Amino acid sequence: MTVFSALLSHYRRHPLQLLALALMIVLATMLWTGVSHLTDRARASLAQSEQAIAGQQQLVREDGQAVSVQDFADLRRQGLCVMPWLEVQRPSPEGRVIGVDPFASACFGNEAPGQAGVDALNGEPFLDIAEAAEMVRQGSEGDLSLLVPVDVEADAVPSDYRLKDFSMGPATGELGESFLLNLDALGVLVLLITALLVRSVYQLGLVQRRESFTLLRRFGVPAARVQGLLLTEMVGLTCVCVIPGIWLGRWLAEMLGAGFGQVLENLFDAPLYAVDGGGFAMPAMIMVAVVLLACFADQRVLMRLPGVTGSVPAWWFGIPVLGLGLAMVAWPFTLGWLFVGIALVFVAVGLLTPRLLSYVAQWGAEGAGAITLWQRRELAVLFRRLALPVVALQFAVAMVLAIQALVTTFEDTFERWLAQRLEAEFYVEVPVQAAAEDGVRYLESLSGLGDWHLVQRGATQVRQETRRDRAGSSVAADVFSISPIGPLVMGWTLLDAVPDAWDKLAAGQGVMVNEQLARRQGYRPADPIGFTLGEQFLELPVVGVYADYGRPEGEILVVGQILPETFTARFQSLSLNPGALPIAEIELGLAAVWNNDNLTIRDNASIRSLASGVFDQTFLITRAITVLTLVLAGTSLLIMGWVFFTTRAWYYRLLFVWGLSRREVAGQLRWLAMFLTGAVAVAALPLGVWLTWVLVSRVNPLAFGWSLPMAVYPGFWLEMLALCLMIGLAIALLMRRQLGGGVPAPAMANVTGGGER
Amino acid sequence: MTWVIQTLRWGLMAIVLSLSACSETPGSAGFAGLAEQVEEETFAQPAPGDRLRFPEDFGPHPRHRIEWWYLTANLTTEQGEPLGLQWTQFRQAMVARDPAGPAPEPDSWPLDAGWMAHAAVSFQGQHWFAEKLARGDIGQAGATADPFEVWHDNWHLQVEGEGEGDGHWRLQVDGEGWSYDLRLTVNGEPVAHGEHGFSAKTASGEGSMYFSLVDLVIEGEVTLGGETFGVSGQGWFDREWSSQFLKAGQQGWDWFALHLESGDKLMMFRLREAGGDFLSGTWVTPEREVFPLGPDGIRLEKIEQRDTADGSVPVQWRIQVPGRQADLNVVAPQGHYWNDGLFPYWESPVSVTGSHQGEGYMELTGY
Repeated sequence: MTVFSALLSHYRRHPLQLLALALMIVLATMLWTGVSHLTDRARASLAQSEQAIAGQQQLVREDGQAVSVQDFADLRRQGLCVMPWLEVQRPSPEGRVIGVDPFASACFGNEAPGQAGVDALNGEPFLDIAEAAEMVRQGSEGDLSLLVPVDVEADAVPSDYRLKDFSMGPATGELGESFLLNLDALGVLVLLITALLVRSVYQLGLVQRRESFTLLRRFGVPAARVQGLLLTEMVGLTCVCVIPGIWLGRWLAEMLGAGFGQVLENLFDAPLYAVDGGGFAMPAMIMVAVVLLACFADQRVLMRLPGVTGSVPAWWFGIPVLGLGLAMVAWPFTLGWLFVGIALVFVAVGLLTPRLLSYVAQWGAEGAGAITLWQRRELAVLFRRLALPVVALQFAVAMVLAIQALVTTFEDTFERWLAQRLEAEFYVEVPVQAAAEDGVRYLESLSGLGDWHLVQRGATQVRQETRRDRAGSSVAADVFSISPIGPLVMGWTLLDAVPDAWDKLAAGQGVMVNEQLARRQGYRPADPIGFTLGEQFLELPVVGVYADYGRPEGEILVVGQILPETFTARFQSLSLNPGALPIAEIELGLAAVWNNDNLTIRDNASIRSLASGVFDQTFLITRAITVLTLVLAGTSLLIMGWVFFTTRAWYYRLLFVWGLSRREVAGQLRWLAMFLTGAVAVAALPLGVWLTWVLVSRVNPLAFGWSLPMAVYPGFWLEMLALCLMIGLAIALLMRRQLGGGVPAPAMANVTGGGER
Repeated sequence: MTWVIQTLRWGLMAIVLSLSACSETPGSAGFAGLAEQVEEETFAQPAPGDRLRFPEDFGPHPRHRIEWWYLTANLTTEQGEPLGLQWTQFRQAMVARDPAGPAPEPDSWPLDAGWMAHAAVSFQGQHWFAEKLARGDIGQAGATADPFEVWHDNWHLQVEGEGEGDGHWRLQVDGEGWSYDLRLTVNGEPVAHGEHGFSAKTASGEGSMYFSLVDLVIEGEVTLGGETFGVSGQGWFDREWSSQFLKAGQQGWDWFALHLESGDKLMMFRLREAGGDFLSGTWVTPEREVFPLGPDGIRLEKIEQRDTADGSVPVQWRIQVPGRQADLNVVAPQGHYWNDGLFPYWESPVSVTGSHQGEGYMELTGY
């Protein structure tokens, strides 16, 4: 018998242990592959959806007239790649269709808007432009645009035309980026949790093979050789297990992703969901590296031979590490610094939690009855011996809590963000040469029109005289003017405000500033703010700070009435609810007063539902990922707990000797197991809340300059607690069956990990 | 003259268009099921009694289903290196129309006809190719007979200087990273192929109307990868129109247009069919005497194949025209000359040795 076969003979005697180790590697690989696959896809899908709704540009005529087929032909004959886009609005249930010319879109290559190939011209919503033109001829409302590739520069455009953004919806901008950053953080956490789980199972195996190692040493086999063989064994096992793990992870991602892709296609009229399968090599190599690192990071593993599963050496080391990590997170200089701080806190929590729980379990047990004392001591032993799976479950639960809070907060924020930008049903851009006042007068003359306001945007210089800076220099900011102040804006979320803030704004007695400006310059309600409007300098109190959800520039919100004649509006638009009037009639009226047939009118309601749908699905994926992580961690604890409890079964049988009935022993085991898993959930709670706070209040402001509101969801905490208790209950039930059969007493007192008492 | 492959290509495209327009599955009758897509009887059919008319026949033929304008050129750079180029523009009708009747309104983005343009340059064993697509009747692509102009986006062939450029054409084309701008001097009258322009394509008598300008003197500039070459040489221009697609069993097409140093010109083609090939051609003497060549007047023999990534093609041929004492060895230069568009085919310049020296162009389809 060779040394290697002697080592492997352990698995012949304990095939279930080999199975557990293999299963854990397969499951861990599946989880990580699935998560990374889904996050990659979510990232690609979001990027594509942004491109689909916001990444195009069009050519419009300089004279303001609507473009026609003649313009299209002229531009093509001048060598420009132009494609027609005829959007036809039909009454429900037919809805919107888009006529495209597959011949003309050929020059866009794969970047053709909406991927409008000939094979997709089935009216859902793309169809051949001749059919769309026929609908227009029969009375439907049609709007022709001429799209050009995004890389066309302004100087390549003939002088009679100019480039203009072509958008089917609002760019999600930094809100989306922020979400993706958090998805990445989630992926790293998942990898950490999988590493912990694999390590815990491997350590359990090592403990049970301790006698074999001792025997080999007595036969003169050097420790280094045994170490090398163990490494070979794990490399072989990992290589065998990662392949089905990756395959299962892909399958899982496909299952979860298919619905997502379907929804994206429906929303964006294009196969947006990224379907690139990627290779097997990279995930396999990463997983092998993680498994080997998790199992062999401690090179002296054989020398130390941990007495029991996942012993926690130098737990006290966690205290300074925790302090350092918390300090780094509290005062983060850079994003990298912050992430290091978070990692340190996790390391510290991993070191401290088992020991802490162990102490808590024994706390106040002195003087209690024999059974209670045994219970507490046994629980303390369990916390120490099951340290790694306990910490893994704690991390998983904490992560799930944080992600749930983050996703819910994101959803809420995104809804508010949409509400802020798309409150009105329609948005009408005031043409460059047109007088906005003419449009305002026209709207004022209409009866039956719903709420509306005029938006004028321009630039200002804000004098820096705040609590932080009294130097008197100035900083550039945007002016966001609205008139009249009405219900369309009064529902905005104000982070801070004086009483009757909207009334004061409407009366011109104050201004509001966005979160960005308030953060940068330290403005609070009632602070005076000095700023320029055109050639005029004004000083007014800040009456409110409004959430801006990622707008990078500082901004001052003023009522339109205080704008002086010298103020130059960079951009003007009308937001309106048509009320009892048809939008087509309003459009015609505005086109007449502005003498421009080519008005840009956006249907905000459809854009809102479109954008909400995409984010809903992205959030759905994220939730699925977190649930999967929890399932794996729970399964791991279940396996580990069961195996570990089994090793102590002979010990639990002594309870019968003490005179406890079978039912009482089962009750003791139930108490032990449920207390164990319940305590993990409780221990995970502060970590989860802290992680949520870090993500919304530290990571986001550092990465993007704005914060998400912090919210906690106690109902969800209870759900997590219930889940953990169910895991404990399952362990207890399995043990009850185990104790039902005969359990041999150990040959030696320390033959198993359950040797401690 | 690219009758067969063009009909194949356009036929398949017509199916795509029809599918997208009406979402019906094409039937299997006729070549590629095309007979199911368009009713044959609505289009005019070329027949042996038809005659050519000028200048009208330089323009489009809306009563016919398919037609093309086709130019090949064997040029030499100022450094003396051979350079071949081609330009083709096709029209494919879905609906027959009376030329005197009203054209469809452009605002309706009509799909009565589609246009496709191909252009390629072959130089130093390399091959540049570009393809363009457009729907008809909206102004993006089209053709007029007088003044003569054929355009597709910013590619155009036109009489230079209206009214004063008699006999001079200008051809401008640009692809990605390459372009050419040529002046063409047209010498001689159009050469009618077959029977007064009716060129049979099958033994049973179907065919097309077909004429060529066989003596074009060309000069201009070709730009490849940022380097511009002055070029000069000779060219061959084809006009052909028909309404019939290929029949099932016709597998492909070998076509040659050759300029011989003796001043003779030769056009010949072979349709490869399961039941026996169909050969036809035209010999034009330096004095512009035209001799139609029937299946018995030409022999075509494949000498050597070349393996490429897109298939194996014959690149060396022996063409015999016993009635003109011609025994020609026709060879393509080194390189791969696939026009890699919607439906790839081989098109390359060739050199001629044997009983005559010369050069020309070769188009091979169905390989």
